[in-house]
Amino acid sequence: MRAVVALTLLAGTLAACGDDGDSGGRPTINWYNFPEDSGALQKAADRCSQASGGRYRIVYNKLPRAADGQRQQMVRRLAAEDDSLDILGLDVTWAAEFAEAGWIREWTGEMKRQAMEGTLRVPIQTATWKGKLYAVPYNTNTQLLWYRKDLVPDPPKTWAEMLDKARELARQRKPHYVEIQGAQYEGLTVWFNTLINSAGGSILNASATEPSLGAPAVRAASIMRELAKSPAADPSLPNQMEDANRLAMEAGVAAFQLNYPFVYPSMKANNPQLFKNFAWAPYPRVDEDRPARPTIGGIDLAVSAYSRHPDLAFEAALCLRNRENQLTAALEGGLPPTLRALYDEPAFQKEYPFHREVLAALQSASVRPRTPAYQNVSIAVSHTLSPPSEIDPESSVDTIRDQIDKALRSEGVIP
Amino acid sequence: MAAVGKTHATRWAIVNVVVVLYALFPVWWIAALSFKDPSTLTDGSYIPTDWTLENYKGIFETSEFTRALINSIGIALIATLIAVVLGTMAAYAVARLRFPGKQLLIGMSLLIAMFPPISLVSPLFNIERIIGIFDTWPGLIIPYMTFSLPLAIYTLSAFFREIPWDLEKAAKVDGATAAQAFRLVIVPLAAPGVFTTAILVFIFCWNDFLFAISLTSTESARTVPAAIAFFTGSSQFQQPTGSIAAAAVVITIPIIVFVLLFQRRIVAGLTSGAVKG
Amino acid sequence: MTDRPPRGNALSEGARQERRLGWLLCAPAVIVMLAVTAYPIGYAVYLSLQRYDLRFPGRAEFVGLDNYGAVLSSPFWWDAFWVTLFITGVSVAIELVLGMGLALVMHRTLFWRGTIRTAVLIPYGIVTVVAAFSWQYAWTPDLGYLAELLPEGDAPLTEQWPALWLIVLAEVWKTTPFMALLLLAGLALVPDETLKAAMVDGATAWQRFVRIMLPLMKPAILVALLFRTLDAFRIFDNIYILTAGAQDTGSVSILGYDNLFTALNLGIGSAISVLIFICVGIIAFTFVKLFGAAAPGAEVKR
Repeated sequence: MRAVVALTLLAGTLAACGDDGDSGGRPTINWYNFPEDSGALQKAADRCSQASGGRYRIVYNKLPRAADGQRQQMVRRLAAEDDSLDILGLDVTWAAEFAEAGWIREWTGEMKRQAMEGTLRVPIQTATWKGKLYAVPYNTNTQLLWYRKDLVPDPPKTWAEMLDKARELARQRKPHYVEIQGAQYEGLTVWFNTLINSAGGSILNASATEPSLGAPAVRAASIMRELAKSPAADPSLPNQMEDANRLAMEAGVAAFQLNYPFVYPSMKANNPQLFKNFAWAPYPRVDEDRPARPTIGGIDLAVSAYSRHPDLAFEAALCLRNRENQLTAALEGGLPPTLRALYDEPAFQKEYPFHREVLAALQSASVRPRTPAYQNVSIAVSHTLSPPSEIDPESSVDTIRDQIDKALRSEGVIP
Repeated sequence: MAAVGKTHATRWAIVNVVVVLYALFPVWWIAALSFKDPSTLTDGSYIPTDWTLENYKGIFETSEFTRALINSIGIALIATLIAVVLGTMAAYAVARLRFPGKQLLIGMSLLIAMFPPISLVSPLFNIERIIGIFDTWPGLIIPYMTFSLPLAIYTLSAFFREIPWDLEKAAKVDGATAAQAFRLVIVPLAAPGVFTTAILVFIFCWNDFLFAISLTSTESARTVPAAIAFFTGSSQFQQPTGSIAAAAVVITIPIIVFVLLFQRRIVAGLTSGAVKG
Repeated sequence: MTDRPPRGNALSEGARQERRLGWLLCAPAVIVMLAVTAYPIGYAVYLSLQRYDLRFPGRAEFVGLDNYGAVLSSPFWWDAFWVTLFITGVSVAIELVLGMGLALVMHRTLFWRGTIRTAVLIPYGIVTVVAAFSWQYAWTPDLGYLAELLPEGDAPLTEQWPALWLIVLAEVWKTTPFMALLLLAGLALVPDETLKAAMVDGATAWQRFVRIMLPLMKPAILVALLFRTLDAFRIFDNIYILTAGAQDTGSVSILGYDNLFTALNLGIGSAISVLIFICVGIIAFTFVKLFGAAAPGAEVKR
């Protein structure tokens, strides 16, 4: 017993003496990003460390898998002015918040030019706040309509069409669900944002000082309610996130799915039979004559305001998201790139047979409201619209307007 | 002891089986998920149709999980040891001695047990960063110890109160020295409380998530519950269900061992002969 | 050693030694608890009196009890409060009965004692988040085995009342062992002789249970009940995983978490924490009063 205790104490002391800080004179640049198993990100870090010619070493530190967890870790340490973070992998909705709080540095001059060169327009929007660039887009993501060719030979172009087709399939007692994220979380806000932008409106006005909403918001809310009340709704809709949608589609109970491209390699691996009939199409439109504007996701790389080596960090960040590394991330990590040129790259096109639809979606994409109070706005939206079957379009939109007003002023208790 | 009737025995057998089923059938579900091939995760079957050890191989591929296991075991053991020692001392005083400030101590420790930890992690994080124990073993051991002390003190004092301390006097009258009296009479009677407390404190430290994720940042001190939050699926949207289930199974094994070792001591007290004759 | 101090103000030497020993033994625990929690708890209370949004650190200002007013007048707080009260009351009640039953089985079963005791404790030893996740999976239609037992298309986690009962189920399954363990240790203190004597006197099993075992177990029951209720009121993990608090199933802790970590509103978040603390304090106070002499710290009997 005593030996056990002694050993554990010894092990503890040894373990506590970790290895940290600058090693051997070369500054360490700490890159904090979501965890990634394929090795693509580690490769990028290694490549860029070498490319620096000995001037610095990039260490890839993992953050928790869930976006909320990542944000919490970074916020806690940035609020404490921790200087051991250099490059931060921010979700596309955090730039305004972090910039306003003074936690990330602005990109200017030559660095800014390099960051914007050849990068898709919409991802750059996500990294901009008050006209200044605060991060460099790393990877992006957007949703497509995935459907079963055997059930639906021609993909629907609008939401109305899709719901009609689903009803018909239901009548014929064939798999008919329309899989979409309906749980009370960020994904619900994304759905609403996509619909309202596709209907020609937006959640906030251009200067992000007050809610815009209006008729397009009511349209969006009606579509959500219609889906939830139709036979097309999966019974678990109010609890579903992206992964649950994928699983339902792979289980064969769904005919349509609105989801990110990660479902493609997954279906290929898990259900080769169904994969033969697995097809994709652009995101359905709200109005026939207006292209859909799916909301994009993704990661932007920012430099911490408390970094000890900001110049090196800017340089390192640019290297981490250069052509070579974005291509590797796309091919091995399934992360769609933000550099326009890569969409013409043959290796990329081979791996992403749906690249044309993805590029088209990215070029007409919408972003979520850019405001430091985004989290509050998002919660206001997702809590009011959950569960989708209980939406009353007019009054729900009124409630959202009220709550967003409060959220923008950082007032009151959020649900 | 009179011969036990057969119906009596069968009744107990049925009860035993029911209890085990109730306790373990959801556990089997987790184990089943860990053995399922990713393509069969959705078939809702209680018993895997396609057995695979891939999930287990996967979590041990890198040293991250092994490191987390070592961290968990070490931190939980040390914190439990210290908490039980300090708690025993304080509980003995509370249960047996008269001194002013006792109510204050009891009240204060309850206060600590009651305050929502979510509000405490940020200040704790700040302190630890300043002192320099952030992301180290002591950085987790100290909070764990602190927040399990209230439970330890309460549990131990509740049990110490019930010990017939006069037995110690009786043993001395019978010719035992003070040390012998303590060792042979008091310690066995105190054992149930001490081991119960040890198990509860260990499980608290073992399963804590909030402090583990807030007060660590690298594998040097990250424990298993926090490490699970870093597991990745094949993409950022996919829940690594199989790996999480496999990790859960693996980290439950030390608990099983710990409990198996100590469960007998919990009831050993009064039946060990101290009271009789 | 005299029982009472002699007349006059001076304490006897024995009593003084007893005091010193008492303080000495308590000192390490007290020092640790104070050193670690004084600043965080003090800081949290201090924050609750400020209007402090982490994203606008320059705008922090003292607002007194405004945050408390905002929270107590918010329907979100009261919704969460009643949900929490329901979950706490129901789950603790079930756990007490179930825990007692399990304790009896663990204590008196004829064979497989080690196995039974270990098996009963395993649910408590599993990481809460994983257990919650496995329940969520089990109840999702098409994915889980429990959902298969329900009529087609029923998704219990998506409606408030079924979801609340499932949360209670998950909570009860997970933490009954805590009760059972404490009650088992309490059972172990009931002297066999007393029970045998009662049996000889003709008392039924029920009478033996109510008249002999329960009173002797009072201290153990108090500790179990007290700590379990304190923890139940602060339930977080199970709800977060099973429903994320949707459909009005959120508890006060989830409310606090949202306001503190997501909205980064330190003032409101801390106020919610202090309010939770006060609620839990009232509960604790009630229990201690109810159990009176059985509470730890009550006068030592000689």
